[in-house]
Amino acid sequence: MSQLSRAFFICRKDVESYYSKPPLVTWGLLFPAVLILATFLKEPAASLRLAPGIIALTLLFGSTSMAAIVVTWEKRSGTMKRLLLAPLTHRTIILGKALSATGYGLATSLALTLGLAAVLGLRVADPVLFLLALAGGGLTFSLLGLLASVMVREVFEAMTLMNFFRFPILFLSGVFMPLEEFPAWLKPVALASPLTHLVELLRLASSGQGWFASPLIPGLGLACYLVLAWALAGPVFRRGANL
Amino acid sequence: MTEPEAAIRVEGLVKSYGRVEALRGVSFGAARGEVLAYLGPNGAGKTTTINILCGLLRPDAGRVSVCGLDVDRQALEVKRRIGVVPEESNLYGELSCARNLEYLGELYGLSGPRRKQKAAELLAAFKLEEKAGAPFRTLSRGLKRRLILAAALVNSPEVVFLDEPTIGLDVPSARALRDLIRRLKQSGTTVFLTTHNLAEAEELSDRMAIIIRGRIVAAGAADQVRRRVERARVVEVSFVQPIEAGPIQRACPAVLAAIPAGEGFRLEVADAHQALMELAAFADREGLRIADLATPRPSLEEAFLSILEEEQGR
Repeated sequence: MSQLSRAFFICRKDVESYYSKPPLVTWGLLFPAVLILATFLKEPAASLRLAPGIIALTLLFGSTSMAAIVVTWEKRSGTMKRLLLAPLTHRTIILGKALSATGYGLATSLALTLGLAAVLGLRVADPVLFLLALAGGGLTFSLLGLLASVMVREVFEAMTLMNFFRFPILFLSGVFMPLEEFPAWLKPVALASPLTHLVELLRLASSGQGWFASPLIPGLGLACYLVLAWALAGPVFRRGANL
Repeated sequence: MTEPEAAIRVEGLVKSYGRVEALRGVSFGAARGEVLAYLGPNGAGKTTTINILCGLLRPDAGRVSVCGLDVDRQALEVKRRIGVVPEESNLYGELSCARNLEYLGELYGLSGPRRKQKAAELLAAFKLEEKAGAPFRTLSRGLKRRLILAAALVNSPEVVFLDEPTIGLDVPSARALRDLIRRLKQSGTTVFLTTHNLAEAEELSDRMAIIIRGRIVAAGAADQVRRRVERARVVEVSFVQPIEAGPIQRACPAVLAAIPAGEGFRLEVADAHQALMELAAFADREGLRIADLATPRPSLEEAFLSILEEEQGR
């Protein structure tokens, strides 16, 4: 049996153990739904414009948080050691954990998308691009969450570490304000954020409009972050998984 | 202490954490089908040794092989062949007992039907069939330990590492677990056992190794370990007539101390043979009749404490 199928088994077990619990599902949906509702009440027309950003935000917080919570929890409970004692490569464990956190992020962001489509009439012009962008973003964010969690022992430490990264990019990634409206000097900074590329891809996939004319550049940008996070995950996990 | 057919072979193992030397040239071995007890006080280096043997930690120097495989270079193959029962729980509280075992079967690459069969076999062998559907977290401590041991056998390991397997268990649960360890040995599995319970170590193990401050200070069968401290022997004697301790000590230079114990005395002697000769001469000279005489061997606990004191005094 290949290491890939074992990664799938790890993912399936995590979904079974952690992600299918009602409180987690409602938490994942409630936060973005409230954001949308607040925007809708203030300015109904703006809520559709903000939808791709909020969906990306849901994916960011869902995937990073879940990867961090699960890995930190398993390190504390001894079950991470159980995984390390099994004939699994570190990459298999990383992939299994990242896939399950991605699954959670995807499930909550897709549920939000469906809700927005039903209530506000959100249209997704290119569903394939939309799904690919969510999958790539989810995997990247999960790996980033995993990187933060293996370096610390407590969940709150992982969250603090991630918030240093999540909150600044929240305001620099075109979630609340399209890139076109950014001052010229801020645009290169925005491009350094993986969330920017995801938001742009989702905007292109839903309305066909974005700062980039085609999904090629944001797609490549997101792919670069995915490769970088994957490359870093191996050595960081090796150093920190036994903490 | 290495064997030609060693299931575990450790040579010159060195490991430091910063300035702290956890292991300082540790060497030992365990033959296939043998139970090796690895004893030592807290912080002696037992867990570090287990972590290295299981491929969780890399040594700074030394060679380690398990089942004839180099742990550093063939870690995955070694992990396929070993089972580990840690001191603390390492199963999933929210999963049922059966699902825990099946999940581990998945991680060890067992096929679907084989996983289910193996889980059922283990639940039956460990008398946990009735708890198959119960979440792990709802089990009592004794049942949890049993399932953790069962989980370590999912892959039918050749070598099992048991870290304090009976700690915190009530008497019947500890006894049941010891029976299971005996059955493992009978089935030809090599068992590496760490425990603070010396009676348990003596009862279960073929050989033992004592580690103190990262160094093996005694190794061999329990009798060999006892012999290591036999130079400080004890003689127990009682006389028919009443007598004080003072005259005994004055008449017998080989008696280092005479401590009243029950009806007689517990004598700490430098040389057992010399002390007995002097005691017999003393009794004959004073017209005393020896009622009882015994030269009890030190218990494993006494031997362990004596070795510990000796090493800590260095």
